Amino acid sequence: MTIAALVLNLLLSFSSFAALALSLDRHHRGTFDVPLPRGRSRGLRAAGWSGLILSFTVAVACAGWSFGPVQWTGGLTGAGLAVVALISYRPTWLRAAALAALPLAAVALPFALAG
Amino acid sequence: MAWLHTWSGLVVGWVLFAIFVTGTASYYRTDISRWMQPELTETATDPVAAATRAGAYLGRVMPDALGWSVKLPTAEDPAVEVFWWKDQDGPYHRALLDPATGERSKARDTKGGDFLYRFHFELSLPPLWGRWIVSVCAMILLVSLISGVVTHRRIFADFFTFRRDRSAQRGWLDAHNVVGVLALPFHLMIVYTGLVTLAPMLMPWGVQAAYRHDGLRYYTEAGLMPQMRAPAGRPGTLLPLGEIVSRAIAAAGETPETLWVTMPGDAAATVTAIFEEAPGLAHLHPQIAYAGDTGTEYARTGHVGAATRTGAVMIGLHEAHFAAAPLRLLFFLCGTMGAATVASGLVLWTVARAPKGASPAGLGLRLVRILNLGTITGLPTGLAAYFLANRLLPVDLADRADWEVRGFFAAWALAAVASALYPPARAWPVALGVAAVAVLAIPVTDILTVGQARFLGFDAAMLVLGVLLALGARIAARRPRTLRAPGTSIPRTAEA
Repeated sequence: MTIAALVLNLLLSFSSFAALALSLDRHHRGTFDVPLPRGRSRGLRAAGWSGLILSFTVAVACAGWSFGPVQWTGGLTGAGLAVVALISYRPTWLRAAALAALPLAAVALPFALAG
Repeated sequence: MAWLHTWSGLVVGWVLFAIFVTGTASYYRTDISRWMQPELTETATDPVAAATRAGAYLGRVMPDALGWSVKLPTAEDPAVEVFWWKDQDGPYHRALLDPATGERSKARDTKGGDFLYRFHFELSLPPLWGRWIVSVCAMILLVSLISGVVTHRRIFADFFTFRRDRSAQRGWLDAHNVVGVLALPFHLMIVYTGLVTLAPMLMPWGVQAAYRHDGLRYYTEAGLMPQMRAPAGRPGTLLPLGEIVSRAIAAAGETPETLWVTMPGDAAATVTAIFEEAPGLAHLHPQIAYAGDTGTEYARTGHVGAATRTGAVMIGLHEAHFAAAPLRLLFFLCGTMGAATVASGLVLWTVARAPKGASPAGLGLRLVRILNLGTITGLPTGLAAYFLANRLLPVDLADRADWEVRGFFAAWALAAVASALYPPARAWPVALGVAAVAVLAIPVTDILTVGQARFLGFDAAMLVLGVLLALGARIAARRPRTLRAPGTSIPRTAEA
């Protein structure tokens, strides 16, 4: 259970939660100032849920079946809080932050699996 | 089910807030204790020699004790903490020993993080009273959590929603929902596992029915304790405790955490070496019992069954000893969100019931407001006083540890009474401002009186907490209170 694994978890869950938030019309309007285009919602929702499943898989792969789920759940709470904070205070940053988290997660992945 | 959530949350909310805050602080119990005893510096110590010296000390103060316990020194926690007692029901005497001399340590006397830890489940009351009150509150919290989830119809649609630009009531409800729902797995886990830690007291009947009055045998057979021996009734000589430590190191390959000596003066004296938890979620300490006079191993903890292991995992999850620094920080964050859920729920109760226009507030509303203020702002002020007293009281003051605790309660009570007497519209910013100033005084006082680099992390944490309280005071000063009669000026600052 290394720092890299936890950071990877937080980053993946953050991007996934951001996608799920943007799949809701209210938050999509707050971020982009336009209503949610038809068909976009489904794609974002699928991406969000897949990201959460990936995050869980990575947590179990890095930390095992006992620590992994604990760490994943903790990461969900931290990531969710970050998404809510951005939506409430800096909604226009949400998309950029969610996209930036993905390459960072890719960088963290080898460290997480090695540790 | 909304009424159930509203009222179950309200009646125990104030106690729950204190339980959440002190419990969350207990994730850093050892760090707090270390900060509160700056005289103890991290040094390499010899646990074998330290155990022998501690045994000699205990042999002088109470040779005919029912039990002694010796917490062995480690590099991070170099003090030797000893307890001795003549009766199972206490009193339990405690002393900190210097590992190098075996005499009482010159470090300042304090309860450290252990005070917050015990307050978390005993509320500084007689243990059984405190634990029963905490248990009842925890059970009501479980009811409140479940009825809260049922009441919250838009749990997915409002998952990320915090509307701070709408009415005060909408903002508080959103805040309550967000901190409650995002950390819901933690909330459910912590209240359920907390009840499991108290289960032997809450539901003793199974063990009582199966083991009659031989409760100890239950712990032995469950693999939690090694077999105990009956007293021989004649005096015996105890080996130097260091000898037992050497044997335990040879047998287990690691230094025990604690030695537990039963009937040290008796020929059948037993020395039990208790080791650290094995890596994993479960809270299980392996133990080896040695005959006190010959030093031969005669028992060790046996196989742990599935049910006992499940219970141990739940207690392990509650205490989070397994969590390294980053995960511990997330546990701390979740605990803070638990306290925030309770606090926002309490405030929401008053905001939702605030009278419209100029009509006066009723007695119930005034009472809840006063209790909210006294708990939510008074507790941080009391905690700040506890830490400040640790730095400011003379090091050689008699009953120093008790004076620190009195400082905690006195500051809490004073803050609560003073905020109750203040005009309601301005009480929140002023009380939060006082708490912020008190918390911000901690790092300043530490640097002026002790000033050690290893405490900068603790000081930084207090700085962050103080800034957050100050921000809270600013927001409370800015946001027009529903109670305020129209036309009065909005106080801009919250300096106290």
